[in-house]
Amino acid sequence: MADFLKTGRKIIAIGRNYSEHAKELGNAVPTEPFFFLKPTSSYITDGQSIEIPAGCEVHHELELSVIIGKEGRDILAEDADNYIAGYALSLDMTARNVQDKAKKEGRPWSASKGYDTFTPIGAFIPKDQIPDHGNVDLSLQVNGVTKQKGNTRDMIFSVPALIENVSSIMKLEEGDVIMTGTPKGVGRVLSGETVTCDLAVDGKVLSKLTFPVIDRPNPKRP
Amino acid sequence: MASRNFIHSGRKIIAIGRNFSEHAKELGNAVPKSPFFFLKPTSSFISNGQAIEIPRGCEVHHEVELGVVIGKDGRDISAKDAHKHIAGYTLALDMTARNLQEQAKKAGLPWSTAKGYDTFTPVGEFIEKEAIQDTNDVDLSLKIDGVTKQNGNTRDMIFKIPSLIEYVSTIMKLQEGDLILTGTPAGVGRVLPGETVTCELASKGKIVSQLRFPVVDRSNKA
Repeated sequence: MADFLKTGRKIIAIGRNYSEHAKELGNAVPTEPFFFLKPTSSYITDGQSIEIPAGCEVHHELELSVIIGKEGRDILAEDADNYIAGYALSLDMTARNVQDKAKKEGRPWSASKGYDTFTPIGAFIPKDQIPDHGNVDLSLQVNGVTKQKGNTRDMIFSVPALIENVSSIMKLEEGDVIMTGTPKGVGRVLSGETVTCDLAVDGKVLSKLTFPVIDRPNPKRP
Repeated sequence: MASRNFIHSGRKIIAIGRNFSEHAKELGNAVPKSPFFFLKPTSSFISNGQAIEIPRGCEVHHEVELGVVIGKDGRDISAKDAHKHIAGYTLALDMTARNLQEQAKKAGLPWSTAKGYDTFTPVGEFIEKEAIQDTNDVDLSLKIDGVTKQNGNTRDMIFKIPSLIEYVSTIMKLQEGDLILTGTPAGVGRVLPGETVTCELASKGKIVSQLRFPVVDRSNKA
């Protein structure tokens, strides 16, 4: 299970699951969950660099990720906990200008969410270390200055509700990751900056990550 | 080789949008100036003979496509090197919940649900690279209950396969086993439970792949 980065077949990212985040981007607060996919090619781990592609204004979005431990579809919310193997601290990096253009044109979000390095994620946290997924503190700093600070109690749709909703559309498989939404405070990161983030339960830090930010290198052409 | 087993080993499905001008026009869309793509989850794969499921409330359309199976990892791949990264091909359908997609487009929301339901990526067997000498002369056809609905040739693709590989790999690194669906010709339309979809791929007049998918209601197991 700890190697979900290599074995996982999909990343499902929930949109607008914290009302203050929906409002800060001028979006309506949703009446039911929605999601988008991020490619597993976008994973990076603690210490690796987030790449800013040319022409992209990239924002950080701090999220609690749920790691699926058992295959299933049409999973009921009351059974959802049986399908969770553990958790991870993660960022849903987003090319905000590309996303805004896609929204205006009614086009997919896949590119704006799917660039290489756009899913920084921490190590697997076993389920028993987070007894209540509705009480997890998340915080993010850029160059040491706090930008996002929230608790999963502010999620509009709970983790079991999300598992029920997603699995009624797409079967979930072992190693799949569900990114559960971001609290308010999203903002731009620039190359040369450093993003740090941490996850804590009742004052105990379970995950602490650091990601330097660089320009995406130009391709080497002979 | 992982690419032969792409249904089980592939890490992503990248589907190109509006790559045949007549298809763009039939749905009232502008013909694009550069390619765009969306992701379909690998959980949506079904193979020859398995049933396409129609979820409740969805108007599901067929879209017959030539799929390219990636054989070698790479990013920022130039169009002239693209052929080195191709392992082979497959005949595929990009099943789409058209009503959900239209709603998503109007609301500026992701396409992931409309494109991502279980069974929404019917594919055939792995086709050896040598079996398709010219990817710009591949006949794709689809019938519902024996009546031809789509009948096109890849010469009508706006963006050719090398350009698509170059474009996608500047955003997301490609990995062995990834599948790129290269767009659908005109003639998309609805399929209903009880019908049977058959499709065929031919290269230089020789049939290379023939597939058959019955269509059923998605049953609720809850």
